[in-house]
Amino acid sequence: MEKYLVIIIILVFRSCSTNPRAINYNTDNCSYCKMTIVDQIHATELVTEKGRIKVYDAIECMLYDLKENPSVVYQHYKVNTYNAPKILEDASTSVYLISEELPSPMGANLTAFKDSLSALNVQKEIGGTLYSWSKLKQKFNL
Amino acid sequence: MCSKNITVSKASSSINTIESALLLANAHDTINVLEGLYLETELHITKPLTIIAYNATIDAEFKGGVFYLEADSISISGFTINNIKSSHIKDISAIYTYKADYFTIENNIFNLPFFAIQIHKSQHGIIKNNFIYGQASLESNSGNGIHVWHSNHLEISGNTVHQMRDGIYLEFVDFCTIQNNKSSDNVRYGLHFMFSNNDQYRDNEFENNGAGVAVMFSKFITMQNNIFKLNWGGASYGLLLKEIYDAEIINNTFYQNTIGIYSEGSARINYKNNILESNGWGVKIAGGCYLNIFKNNDFKNNAFDLSYEGRMNDNTFNNNYWSEYTGYDLDRDGVGDIPFRPVKLFSYIVNRTPETIVLLRSLFIDIINFSEKVSPIFTPDKLQDLKPRIKPIN
Repeated sequence: MEKYLVIIIILVFRSCSTNPRAINYNTDNCSYCKMTIVDQIHATELVTEKGRIKVYDAIECMLYDLKENPSVVYQHYKVNTYNAPKILEDASTSVYLISEELPSPMGANLTAFKDSLSALNVQKEIGGTLYSWSKLKQKFNL
Repeated sequence: MCSKNITVSKASSSINTIESALLLANAHDTINVLEGLYLETELHITKPLTIIAYNATIDAEFKGGVFYLEADSISISGFTINNIKSSHIKDISAIYTYKADYFTIENNIFNLPFFAIQIHKSQHGIIKNNFIYGQASLESNSGNGIHVWHSNHLEISGNTVHQMRDGIYLEFVDFCTIQNNKSSDNVRYGLHFMFSNNDQYRDNEFENNGAGVAVMFSKFITMQNNIFKLNWGGASYGLLLKEIYDAEIINNTFYQNTIGIYSEGSARINYKNNILESNGWGVKIAGGCYLNIFKNNDFKNNAFDLSYEGRMNDNTFNNNYWSEYTGYDLDRDGVGDIPFRPVKLFSYIVNRTPETIVLLRSLFIDIINFSEKVSPIFTPDKLQDLKPRIKPIN
């Protein structure tokens, strides 16, 4: 009897994890604009401190949601990057490029890069402006 | 200076590729491509030309894109173009235009394109009577049928788009007419437009698309005589409107969709003479909608005719036909003598807890819906149709 109790407790607490999960492309919908997420370079994810997961089809959708609901507390801010689609990186360490030559799903032309070197290389090719996470939040009035 | 005709033929020893004809041609020439299979890619057109195919097929063999229009007044018609390469990073297309005004793309057939027709910054063009067939699936990485970006004054008519990712995708596209197209069985949207104003959408058919049709952030839109049907799925909408202002949605049919019309943050839209039949939800109004008018529409046999969130906000429902209406018409004027409240109590419960949909058609839900009808407590007082019609109008 006790063995079952231990197993049940373990299962219950496992379901309360606050880890990010992989995004189901072509199935998941953006929490902000409801569009189906298909773009593997621009999709993002937020995890609240209670483990609730919100996915977005673009970085700008995540930023608009953060702006409209400032009271929600998040444990993880994750973004896809140009260098490695489908692999979620930390938003705070990523570098952001806004360039008309590199469009993003909701019209902000905003793409994340894993590091500043790769971002600079692409900026040299196509132009645009680079932002850190804090500067980007400032730009979106967060 | 007169324009000449160049003929490309597989039988010819001198001009048997389209590439060679492009090199020979001067501005405003006509290139006739005769019957045959051409294995060519990366055909850049840098001068005004008319290129007409007579049963010619271009197979890109999944190596790249085919036509790149980089000058004004180029016309491409009659081709069958197959097997475009797909990619995560670049949107490779069968036909791609960049700053190429006054283009015509007409009567072509596209099989297995990644992107079929992609228009960038090209004004005053015509995309007409093309057939686009993809084999996109949920698992595959697929492209869009007609994808237009920052281009105005276009005519997009008579095209068939089937099983792509998005059938017709417009972003920053103004003053265009999109009519008589059929967009079906696409993985995501039959039609999607954003930031596109002053456009007209008429007589199109959108059927069985994974997420239906979604339109956002646009104003001064007319949608008339379109058919939105069979868009089923957890997040599938006949027509999703987000931040749409000053629009006319008239004479459309919404048939057998999960949600016929979903509207969020949209204002000053006239919904008139539409038929909403056999949908899960006929109309779902989420927050932020103002000054919308629903008049002369037929709501027939929807599981929920109307779901409504938010304040009244000067939205009005007047003179519609509701199949759920059980009132009487003693003065025989065709209009019911008592007002109709279209929002059922059960729809509030489903909005808060979607899983309770499983109770639809249960006796308990019928009882609470009936009691709310008799004595409304939860549904907003002013949300009613004061003159509900006895018979459907359309």
